[in-house]
Amino acid sequence: MTDTRLYDVTLRDGNHALRHTLSSKFVSSYCEKADQSGVWAVEVGHGNGLGASSFLVGKSVESDMALLQAARESLKKTKLAVHSIPGFATIKRDLIPAIDFGVDIFRVATHVTEADVSQKHIEYLSNKNVIVHGVLMMSHMIDIKGLVVQAKLMKNYGASAIILMDSAGYFIPKEVSERVSAIKNELDIEVGFHAHNNLGLGVGNALSAIHEGASLIDGASMGLGAGAGNAQLENIVAAGSRELTLNPNVYSFLQMSKLVEEAYFDKLPRTTSSSTQSGLAGVFSGYAPQVIAISEELGMDTNTLWKEMANRKLVAGQESMIREIAQDLMNL
Amino acid sequence: MNSTKPIRIAIIGTGNIGTDLCYRLLRDSRFKVVALVGRRSDSPGLHMFKNEVDHLIANGIEGLVPFLSEIDGAFDATSAFDHKKHWDLLANAQKWVMDLTPSKIGRPLVPVLMGKIPTMSLQNSISSNYSMVTCGGQSSAPIVHAISSAATGIKEVEVSSSIAALSAGPATRLNIDQYIDSTEGLSALISDCNKVKAILVLNPAEPPVMMRTTVNISAASCDLEQAKATAARIVTEVQKYVPGYEMVVEPYLQSLNTISATVKVTGAGFVLPDYAGNLDIINSAAIETAFLHNSHNRSVDQK
Repeated sequence: MTDTRLYDVTLRDGNHALRHTLSSKFVSSYCEKADQSGVWAVEVGHGNGLGASSFLVGKSVESDMALLQAARESLKKTKLAVHSIPGFATIKRDLIPAIDFGVDIFRVATHVTEADVSQKHIEYLSNKNVIVHGVLMMSHMIDIKGLVVQAKLMKNYGASAIILMDSAGYFIPKEVSERVSAIKNELDIEVGFHAHNNLGLGVGNALSAIHEGASLIDGASMGLGAGAGNAQLENIVAAGSRELTLNPNVYSFLQMSKLVEEAYFDKLPRTTSSSTQSGLAGVFSGYAPQVIAISEELGMDTNTLWKEMANRKLVAGQESMIREIAQDLMNL
Repeated sequence: MNSTKPIRIAIIGTGNIGTDLCYRLLRDSRFKVVALVGRRSDSPGLHMFKNEVDHLIANGIEGLVPFLSEIDGAFDATSAFDHKKHWDLLANAQKWVMDLTPSKIGRPLVPVLMGKIPTMSLQNSISSNYSMVTCGGQSSAPIVHAISSAATGIKEVEVSSSIAALSAGPATRLNIDQYIDSTEGLSALISDCNKVKAILVLNPAEPPVMMRTTVNISAASCDLEQAKATAARIVTEVQKYVPGYEMVVEPYLQSLNTISATVKVTGAGFVLPDYAGNLDIINSAAIETAFLHNSHNRSVDQK
């Protein structure tokens, strides 16, 4: 299975951990190392993708274009990728400039039950000279049969791969295997998997996906990503090389992780009681900073807030509801 | 002219919005529903009203042509793309239209802002096109106005809405970019600020969530107490035509120089259950505007 390609989300999902403070200077130095590593693609931008810098989910310190420009100048072999959520990004305002700018891969993402919202964006991109993937976020929030239906929609719109995101870090390896194999068996399409580490299973889940034939594997250096972080890219590579499922140069990936470690040591994600709670509850782990801040402000327990957010089945992009739920709980 | 004569209307579109409108207008004595226009004879929306509407039309706008003399105006609940053609035809026949698509062709109107924003006024020609913009536009505009009018040096306006996935029909899903574009246009018009952003999140949670809209405005300065008071007053005014409109987080300083507030819209629960506040607010706005436009032009005629 040497055709497995590694997809590096450090400079996008990692921006959640950095509260969207990622600098173009860091993007440049990271991409220079990434370009030498054999990693297939580097995804860059705001944590919620193109056009998402906002009061709702957090303002980027540097614009999408500034970050993309820094990456574009440093990437020669490795492809430049973006994440894009319809509802935040639009074709005219965000996708067209990114195409013109020379982005190679567009990942159009929706909540796992709402794939039809991606139709126009995927159709538009599939008629351009770019690679387009369909991403199903919070993929644990649907049964396997429903997951295949949603994946098929994106395939029919023109996506060349379907990426399953375990945005809450909820899956155990068996569930990853079942989902990857269901899509591989029922749809003739490439499958990717994006793990989060809330239950400490990021790397294990990524390997399970590889075993079932997923050929696009997401990871982040030092796990830099939302909540408890992503599957650690260098550890996927290291473990994969021992299994002989992957054969890249482990050392070059360690250089990338070292760069992240040195620049952002105090921001590195880890599993905490709060992230374990959100993982177990199946709530988007990117909410952690707001949950912690609002809990502190109102003097309440984070676990109580996570549980109530799970009860109300919050999906990604609903930051404004956290305060309301907290106020309800405190009878304010 | 007898001012109690009902306003004769057609509804174009048999999706969530069209059927909700039809249900409500059939029960509103100020109106008479003359025709409901769909595009398929097996449309469930047409079937729902099979004994209640004079003309159930299954072949689109062409099917309405023979009955144009029987109506004063129409509600267009199709798509921005189709609205253009519909308006050409209706304008030619001297009819008004309430546009519930995000086409941006007609004059945007939020009933509660009439007289508060210079461009939000009734038009003097019976054949007028009013844009209801979007549900997020109708729900955010009153709050954008309340905060803007208490602020100076507005730098940025952002309106984000989350709606129940079940309440977003296929046209909304397919045209999400137009939703954003139109909602942003309305925010810019009301705040007089060109840096605007609209966000839409579809929430599939069970049980379905009520529509929520959060407004964030960044300004050089803002009188928070005035913003709170104006927002509270305007919410009460909106409640006259949308009873389920309420403030859930009153204006507060989200960060230095950024004021934030959140409203919730509970639907009246006509065709879709109460989570569909997004349908309720845009349909209520359209009905209110249609009534006011007709009253206004009847009185203009009489002068």
